[in-house]
Amino acid sequence: MTVHFTKMFKRFGNREILSGVDLILSENKCSILTGKNGAGKTTLMRICAGLEKPESGRILYEGTDESWGRYTGKLFQNTVYLHQQPYMFDGDVIHNLEFGLSKKMSRPDRKKKITEALEWAGLTEIAHNQAKTLSGGERQRVAITRAWLHEPDIMLLDEPTANMDNEARTRTVSLLQNLKKHNIIVLIATHEPEHFYSIADEWLVLTDGRIKNGELPVNRNSNVLQLHKLQYAQAFT
Amino acid sequence: MDNLFDATHQAMKLLVSGDQELWNIIGISFRVSTLAISLATIPALLVAFLLSYTNFPGRRFLIAIFNTLLSMPAVVVGLLFYLLLSRHGPLGNFKMLFSQSAMVIGQIALCFPLLVAMSHSSFQAADKRAWETARTLGAGPVRAVLTLMREVRFGLIAALLAGYGRIIAEVGASMMLGGNILHYTRNIPTAIALETSKGLFAQGIALGAVLLLLAFTLNASLHFFQGRGQSVS
Repeated sequence: MTVHFTKMFKRFGNREILSGVDLILSENKCSILTGKNGAGKTTLMRICAGLEKPESGRILYEGTDESWGRYTGKLFQNTVYLHQQPYMFDGDVIHNLEFGLSKKMSRPDRKKKITEALEWAGLTEIAHNQAKTLSGGERQRVAITRAWLHEPDIMLLDEPTANMDNEARTRTVSLLQNLKKHNIIVLIATHEPEHFYSIADEWLVLTDGRIKNGELPVNRNSNVLQLHKLQYAQAFT
Repeated sequence: MDNLFDATHQAMKLLVSGDQELWNIIGISFRVSTLAISLATIPALLVAFLLSYTNFPGRRFLIAIFNTLLSMPAVVVGLLFYLLLSRHGPLGNFKMLFSQSAMVIGQIALCFPLLVAMSHSSFQAADKRAWETARTLGAGPVRAVLTLMREVRFGLIAALLAGYGRIIAEVGASMMLGGNILHYTRNIPTAIALETSKGLFAQGIALGAVLLLLAFTLNASLHFFQGRGQSVS
């Protein structure tokens, strides 16, 4: 399965954020998207999720032309966008996870699926905690698990590890690694690409309203990553 | 002073003894106001949602109108609907004037702007990510609206309680549209006005006590729900 977004233009006032962006997302592929602050990463992801409309653009999804009706259409039904700070519904973690499940599922099936999901994400211990009281890392994991339960084709994550400590980041990245095993297309917008080199298949750089391909380091050991981080920082300062 | 104590004493006796006329008036009040708020709630919530989450020409003007109508005196609403429902009015053929239906219509007109304005504030204050998260997780428009309502439920309950408080205690519209007919359209506020004008204070005080108790209950509930809302978010 491939989704092809072509010639996407978006402008806010006089400022053109996207100037004919072409983006191809392919099955079982994890892409990282980087760019300066204000480059349009979030806007691009929101457009891809159907939360915003571009001025113009075209989508080809499973061979058919999709339109940008808000949330309508098969593509947007199968796409989940995770905010930088994911929203937690009022209630406990289980209530939040249930939101991702289909309403048609029987009660025993829902319970089974939730138990599986809690184990999958290592959330069993906090299953009955109020979701709004969770830490940033826990919220992110709940949000990813909730999205996974929805069984989407595409998952778009906006800065999923921002402001996280090492442990929370490692847990989140490992959860994202698991997503790949479920054939979900993953696109991660980030300022810290080095954290995702281990799971990324391609690196996209959004600059001057267009997407360019970045080069992932061949050797992803820590020294090379440090060097790469330095080069990345220099490129955007 | 003695007069006040005597009247209060008699009022308590009336309440405790289960005076049929008194409880009949209380029953009419609650029946009419409960029906009015029930009929107004869902349309008001939908209007409030549309004003918060959609963009259409005249939206700001509509919000300003609803906010202005908040301070509309009950007697003016009564006058307006009196003219509409009276025999020579455009809705005179329905013969609804001086009936409970007319009182319900008047009370809906009174509480609707309040419900819209307060619910609109609640929806506006809601985190926009709630709506987007619900939609991106596959919720249809109806489920997403219900989810959003659940998220802001304390504010919406506060709106309902405030609306109910406004209509159960209003006298102007009920008097003009109901006509204060005993056993039919006489409710608590119109009965208090009538009994006081006759110099019979006992029933007025008894009914006033019921209204005060109701006001206290509504306010206590309001504080409870507002407190819950603040502590959760």
